[in-house]
Amino acid sequence: MKKEIAITAYKCKKCGKIHYPFHDRCLVCKNREFEPLKPEGDAKLLAYTAIFNLPWGFDQRYLILGIAEFENHIKAMGQIKADSIDQLKTGMKVRPSWEPIRVQYGEDVYGLKFEPME
Amino acid sequence: MRDVAIIGAGMIPFGRRDEDTLMDMLAYASMKALDDVGLGDKSVDAVYVANMGGGMLQHQSAIASSLVDRLSLMPAAAETIENGPASGASAVKTGLLAVASGYYNYVLVVGGEKMREVTGWRATDVVATMTHPQAEYPYGITLPGMAGMFTRLYMEKYGVTREQLLAVSLKNQEMGTLNPYAHVEMALDRAGIFDLPEAVVNNPVSADPLHLYDLCPVSDGAAAVVICPLEMAKAGKGGQKSSEHANSKTPVLIAGFGQATDTQTLQERDDPTDLKAVTLAAQHAFEMAKLKPADIDVAELHDAFTILEIAESEHVGFFKKGEGGKAAVAGKTRLGGQIPINLSGGLKARGHPVGATGVAQVVDIVWQLRHELPKTRQVQKARHGLTVNFGGFGNNVLAFVLKRVEL
Repeated sequence: MKKEIAITAYKCKKCGKIHYPFHDRCLVCKNREFEPLKPEGDAKLLAYTAIFNLPWGFDQRYLILGIAEFENHIKAMGQIKADSIDQLKTGMKVRPSWEPIRVQYGEDVYGLKFEPME
Repeated sequence: MRDVAIIGAGMIPFGRRDEDTLMDMLAYASMKALDDVGLGDKSVDAVYVANMGGGMLQHQSAIASSLVDRLSLMPAAAETIENGPASGASAVKTGLLAVASGYYNYVLVVGGEKMREVTGWRATDVVATMTHPQAEYPYGITLPGMAGMFTRLYMEKYGVTREQLLAVSLKNQEMGTLNPYAHVEMALDRAGIFDLPEAVVNNPVSADPLHLYDLCPVSDGAAAVVICPLEMAKAGKGGQKSSEHANSKTPVLIAGFGQATDTQTLQERDDPTDLKAVTLAAQHAFEMAKLKPADIDVAELHDAFTILEIAESEHVGFFKKGEGGKAAVAGKTRLGGQIPINLSGGLKARGHPVGATGVAQVVDIVWQLRHELPKTRQVQKARHGLTVNFGGFGNNVLAFVLKRVEL
């Protein structure tokens, strides 16, 4: 069963700036009141890389990572489901999902993944 | 506020130092700086120790307290300063403000890190802990990974090429062969890492589009400075008045400093290619020193990745945006060029023991401004130097403008 994307962004009630991750004061107007916002729709790939020297906790050859912007303008980092970085280009559409991103203490840790749609 | 000068500087060779503990390295660098000053058996008023990873890598805390005991500097005040890879410059700034305020006279600042006693896997993870604990770290992002994303965006926006990145890498590793303190004393062969087919093997992609030789090494090392009020520095140098130290070397004034922060995550910056904290830190340092980028004779910029030397050279005002890479290829950042950058070899070749780096940059500029280096690395008649120490991925940056004091 497809899992709901479990990140929450925060829209400033005064100026409308969307924040992810959470800040106690708005990055633009310093207001302290926010409206919770869930990611909507597909996303656009803003930046990406493939890393070959992985940190402790990742037992694999490489990892493709990127930052994408959802249709309601939430921007977030995620792992990219692609066989090769050559499949990617900045600005392409990607489909988000909520899947295991690593294992810690024997348990799956869930997070964002993006799959190229083009 | 009093003017503050650097009167002592010391460093130990960076690299893999299996025989030394973190405390050994901090002590060796400190003694070199203290001896450089000629303080004899006198103490200092305060000690600031820059270290990022001791708690995680060595399972050690209260490092500054340990160091004053090791060096018999009690009852000097002592604190450990942790500010990621900008810890070194933060400790220098803390010492500067303590002396400028009039509260302390002689302050020892030392930065050190021992990163090679764990695997690269573990060291990469320790450095990655400076990323956002929920929005970034769990995904496996590393600092080279952040730099990879930044590099692609910079290439797309400003037309930076691999050839331009290579120019930085070749220059800094060549300078490393001339620096006895450098971790990597090995010149690179352009053909073998770029032109020939085997370059794919010799210089593999590490964090696309960055390759192995675009990245600094993981290093052990330490560096230290001793600072005091400028007036006392002059007295010591000239010997006209009674002073606590017997240094006969040229003092170096900390003429300006700046520090600025930015969002922790790249995605929350309006333009992720804009290193605002670098620009602001440098601007503040120049304003305080009453100098301009064109007045700088030599610079040590935080080239943990080759793209950063190019981007920082633009953000501090040496070159317009999009011109830094071309300047590197044209030799404008080499010794004898328009603005020599990283004649120490930079982080790329001198190495990057994270807590030590910001102090080591200051030490290298002090040696330049005292005109103490061999002519293969010395900028002739250098009077003004700049350092930029880049924390996180540009979310905490410090810059210093240093000035030779003519007596």
